Amino acid sequence: MFWRKKDKNADGEVKMFFASDLHGSNVCFKKFVSSAKFYGADVLVLGGDLTGKAVIPIAEQQNGTFLAFQHGESVQINGKSEVDDFVKRQGNIGFYPAVMSESEYQGLRADPDAQAELFKRLVLERVREWAVFAEEKLKGTDIPLVALPGNDDFHEIDEILTRAPHFDFHEMQVCDFKGGYQMLYCGGSTPTPWDTEREYTEEQYVSRFAELIPQVKDMSRCIFNVHVPPLGTALDACPKLDKNLQVVYEMGLPAQVHAGCQTLTDIIKEHQPLLGLHGHIHEGRAKINIGKTICINPGSVYPEGILQGAMITLQHGQVTQANLMQG
Amino acid sequence: MSVSDVGAEKRIFLRKASGLIRTAGLGDTFIYNLGVVSIGLGVGSMLYYGPAFYPQGDLIWGCVIAGVAMALISFGFITWTITLPRSGGIYVFGSRILPPALALTMSLVEITAWLFYCAIAAYWIVILALAPMFSALNLLTGNQTFLTISQTMLEPWATFLIGAAILLISQVVLSFGMRFYLTLNKWVFILAMASTVLLIVTLAMSTREQFITNLNALVGPSLGVPDAYNAIIASGKEKGWGEPGVDVWQTILVSNWPFLPLIGAAFSIAIGGEIKSVGKSQSVGMLGAVLVATVAWIITVYLAYQVFGFEFLGTAVFNVLSGNGGLTTPTDPAISLLTGILTLSPIITVLTSLGLALWMWMWIPAMHTFGVRAIVAWAFDRVAPAPIGRISETYHTPLVAITVTTIVNLIFLALFVFTPWFSKIVILIEAAVLAWSVVLAAGIFFPYLRPQLYEKSPLANKTVFGLPIMSVGCFLGFIAAQFYFWTLFFDPNAAGHDPTQVMIVVGVFVLGLVFYYVMKMIRRSQGIDVTLAFKEIPIE
Repeated sequence: MFWRKKDKNADGEVKMFFASDLHGSNVCFKKFVSSAKFYGADVLVLGGDLTGKAVIPIAEQQNGTFLAFQHGESVQINGKSEVDDFVKRQGNIGFYPAVMSESEYQGLRADPDAQAELFKRLVLERVREWAVFAEEKLKGTDIPLVALPGNDDFHEIDEILTRAPHFDFHEMQVCDFKGGYQMLYCGGSTPTPWDTEREYTEEQYVSRFAELIPQVKDMSRCIFNVHVPPLGTALDACPKLDKNLQVVYEMGLPAQVHAGCQTLTDIIKEHQPLLGLHGHIHEGRAKINIGKTICINPGSVYPEGILQGAMITLQHGQVTQANLMQG
Repeated sequence: MSVSDVGAEKRIFLRKASGLIRTAGLGDTFIYNLGVVSIGLGVGSMLYYGPAFYPQGDLIWGCVIAGVAMALISFGFITWTITLPRSGGIYVFGSRILPPALALTMSLVEITAWLFYCAIAAYWIVILALAPMFSALNLLTGNQTFLTISQTMLEPWATFLIGAAILLISQVVLSFGMRFYLTLNKWVFILAMASTVLLIVTLAMSTREQFITNLNALVGPSLGVPDAYNAIIASGKEKGWGEPGVDVWQTILVSNWPFLPLIGAAFSIAIGGEIKSVGKSQSVGMLGAVLVATVAWIITVYLAYQVFGFEFLGTAVFNVLSGNGGLTTPTDPAISLLTGILTLSPIITVLTSLGLALWMWMWIPAMHTFGVRAIVAWAFDRVAPAPIGRISETYHTPLVAITVTTIVNLIFLALFVFTPWFSKIVILIEAAVLAWSVVLAAGIFFPYLRPQLYEKSPLANKTVFGLPIMSVGCFLGFIAAQFYFWTLFFDPNAAGHDPTQVMIVVGVFVLGLVFYYVMKMIRRSQGIDVTLAFKEIPIE
């Protein structure tokens, strides 16, 4: 076990594994669930952005083969076993494969609304599959899987995950957490160049935190599970994009910007919660201190099938271990 | 939500969603690698050591041999970095297939060698660029102050202080972050390339007679001979410099000198996680750097032989390095000094000398970065103390790691300057090549031993004679790396294998293993099993 088992029953000790931004990757989600046993975690915490970004049509041709797109090029797939293998691999890197006829594909190409409908159906199907998987693997254990939505997550997933037996899904809430701690859930992000599902302005974040902060009983025992990272830190540095979503270069180099939330930075500085768990910026893998508060963004490289996360131990109201890891 | 079909040939429907953005393109990768190769440093070291140590070695063919070998090694690493497109170099690759202790050891051996390269570069900036520049200015202007400066620079304490200042500048540059470093790097690259072009044009427009006339006029009086050019050659031959000719073994050995800087062509494996279109960018970035550097060296060596003469280059340096008391130039006959004598132009002398210094400088932050990234990765994996991975709130950079590696650089520099260990420590390069060959060998078996990881690689469906392309690429790279391990092993001038040197190599490997097991013990006492840091989470 990554953490010593002999301390398992120590007073107030909580061992949590935190990961974020899995973006539909089946293999990463399965690793995430398996990490409870592998690392000996008491709680699994998922920091949002569960859903993926691309549908891969697998179009059946008249000659019985299938045509699809992989690694920047068209690929021909022969036979059911190859299709099954392709579907599995696409799911592992976070894509949504969809087997269809060539005519169906051509129809979809010309119909953005139909594409959107297909996209949403496949995304929600996978979220349901994940809920079932978590239930199967964690049933009989007392390991909760707590989660909140990220900026990329459709609102429709909230209902699915709230009803899922083993998911402990929250948004805009402060809830009791193992070991006598509390967890503050605040999903979404500040505005992005992509105009994603759940974006809030700084003013809206001021209102959101004004609603949440009074619910915290003891800030020194509160864990902020906030998808967006604090602004102006190592957790939120990323390349600047123009209106066409192309990287902006200055003097031949990609310009860097901070894409976090200023309101959150101010709140953390003022209230000094015990711990901040963040995601959103995949490049921002780091652990930092803002005053006494330890803030973590485990980053994300889900397309490689590698799960990045953080193993954190809380004991007697302190963060005794907080380590970035990947598996 | 918005969904778009990005084109008939791209059968994919994308929605607008945020995500990881890789920022380094093909051009960035190429410049990064070519900067670490350091064309100017290669020119300086090849022309300095090549003719002197290997009178029967053909340096031009040596460049070709080294270029082909490095292309094969790059091929192997390209397959690795496409399969695992993450930053961290061979540590990332090794930790996915080798036992944890071995993966850390390979990484430690590698970064020890690269930090050693940092110190070499700082040392050479003083010895091969700045001191010869001031000496040449003395010859050209008659101003004794320049000679005094040059001679002072060659005093051990002065060499150390200047070298240390250069290494500390690297510390400052990296502390301000990669963006600051890369911006600076581009400007340095442009200036250094311009100086190389100036050198090539200067050599192309000059003649042997011009050089001999100038040398005899400037150096002859101080040597007390009217024909200094031929007197230096005769003196070298009399003191034991071998007769020129062509010998295959010596040609293979002289290829060590172009190979050593060419190692930099694969350094983009250290920033693999930041490169977009990784397959194309890494392939062109690595192989392009090998090609451009090799061609530039062949042209420069050919022109230098035409202008300065092979025998003169060999004997002038031989008389310095062997300490035989033979005739030579007033200070080291480095390319910057010889260019100054050739042109009689203080401006061209300064420009080519500073260009050489800039090329050497490019090694320092690049190698330094490599070391910093590796030990930060160790800290993340708990096999190094946690503070090493700490990110500065002010600069957003790993200041502790940068400082630790700077201290190691300074220790290496002190060893060069104040001890006779220089020739012993150079063996670390051989150790690094050995570490590379271990990781390349592991890559041969990666598709078979880690099929779940390999199936996600864009190379997964590509085969050569029915074998996975990664296995083929890593096999060829392994053969090339082994070739240079043994070539360096049998070359006492470039590396060698005397008992002390072998002990140093063994010592570094043992140090890596001891370091791993000590950290493992410490972490176990803290309740942490570091072996899990290297393991893929099994899906149950």
